[in-house]
Amino acid sequence: MAHNWDFATILQNWPVLWVGIKGTVFIFVITAILGLGGGLIVGIARYSKSPFVSWPARAFVEVFRNTPVLVQIIWFYYAFPILTGIETDPFLAAVLGISLNTMAFSAEIYRAGIQSINRAQWEAGKAIGMNYNQTLRRIILPVAVKRVLPALTNRGIEVFKMSTLASVVGYVETLNQAKLISDLNFNPIESYTAVAVIFFVVLYPVVQGTYVLERMLRKGD
Amino acid sequence: MEWNFLAVLRDFDLLMLGLLNTLKVTGLALLFGVPLGLALALSRLSTFRILSGIAGFIVEFFRTTPPLVQLFWFFFALPILIDVRMTPLIAAVVTFSIQSSAFFAEIFRGGILSIDKGQWEGAKAIGMTYGQCQRRIILPQAIKRMIPAFMERSIELLKTTTLVSTVAYTDLMFQANELAQKTFRPLEVYTIVAAIYFVLIFLFSQFSIAVEHRLAKSGEGTVR
Repeated sequence: MAHNWDFATILQNWPVLWVGIKGTVFIFVITAILGLGGGLIVGIARYSKSPFVSWPARAFVEVFRNTPVLVQIIWFYYAFPILTGIETDPFLAAVLGISLNTMAFSAEIYRAGIQSINRAQWEAGKAIGMNYNQTLRRIILPVAVKRVLPALTNRGIEVFKMSTLASVVGYVETLNQAKLISDLNFNPIESYTAVAVIFFVVLYPVVQGTYVLERMLRKGD
Repeated sequence: MEWNFLAVLRDFDLLMLGLLNTLKVTGLALLFGVPLGLALALSRLSTFRILSGIAGFIVEFFRTTPPLVQLFWFFFALPILIDVRMTPLIAAVVTFSIQSSAFFAEIFRGGILSIDKGQWEGAKAIGMTYGQCQRRIILPQAIKRMIPAFMERSIELLKTTTLVSTVAYTDLMFQANELAQKTFRPLEVYTIVAAIYFVLIFLFSQFSIAVEHRLAKSGEGTVR
């Protein structure tokens, strides 16, 4: 059966899709900032010598890394409000699930980066009179973060793809709008192909960029 | 707010059925995904430009598009494009086989490229063909190096299979949704399901860490 590809219906519904694209970008920016930023704090806590700091951080990382992100989103949507009395709308549930998941994964990236720094740097910081926080902030982190930049970019790419999961609880993003267009126009082929192409077009250059970044950092080290 | 697990425990067999189906989809996707990944990796490394170009495109396309979009495409769009009867199971297995094969391909490729060039030359010098060298010399060593990355990806795959619940395949996530509606106990249901996933995935990752350390001892690990 030869299918007659007809992307005109997609173009006619462009405003509908555009609303979704804006939703995707919005949730991506929020979750990327919260997830990759919060991950730094958890990563530092995980590295701490005090077990009262490192163990809760470790437990957090293990729980969120070892459960599927969709389970987390749905848990925050249906279970969290009963437990806490805080109502979660689709946006909040998705932001909580994706951000916390990303925090756990990026915490391990930051921790690996901090651990990769030679111990002598800590000693040198101490020798010239810096305390733990000063050494961490001024000496260790700038180098550590630079080293793990490719891994963080990869996480960012994952976050962008994960944003589609927000559609499962009804947040209005690209995939959700494509489903709507497909239901109204009976054109699932064009609708879903369009979404796949949009993601590919956005992420392909980013992925190529990370390769370049990796090569540059390897040269610089 | 009061926890009450009784209603959930009464229908625990529903969840176990879901768990079984989750493992089934994961297993089938691995079964097809790994050989397909190897084929894609070998094609991408081929000196034949068109072949490596096509393989490269497939790998990059499936790595840069969200798995949920791929699943919807295979479930809703493909049956119109080619005349097949699509069931949630087939759509899930097809999607996750291809999706994970794209990631496996990069693991295979990295492993093969990590083997010293001298080994190829050595094999060639004693008269082996490309296929023989790949099969007897390169792949056995490359596969050993790939094991940690391979296991990590399999765990990712297991987590990704939760998406099949959106096309109504009765995996653990889908059963959880059903049970939450039936018992009006979403808190208990989703907490238990999260715990089941946690135990399963935690055990797998502990196992993979153990294997990684074992490999490190034999000098082929990635642990520093």
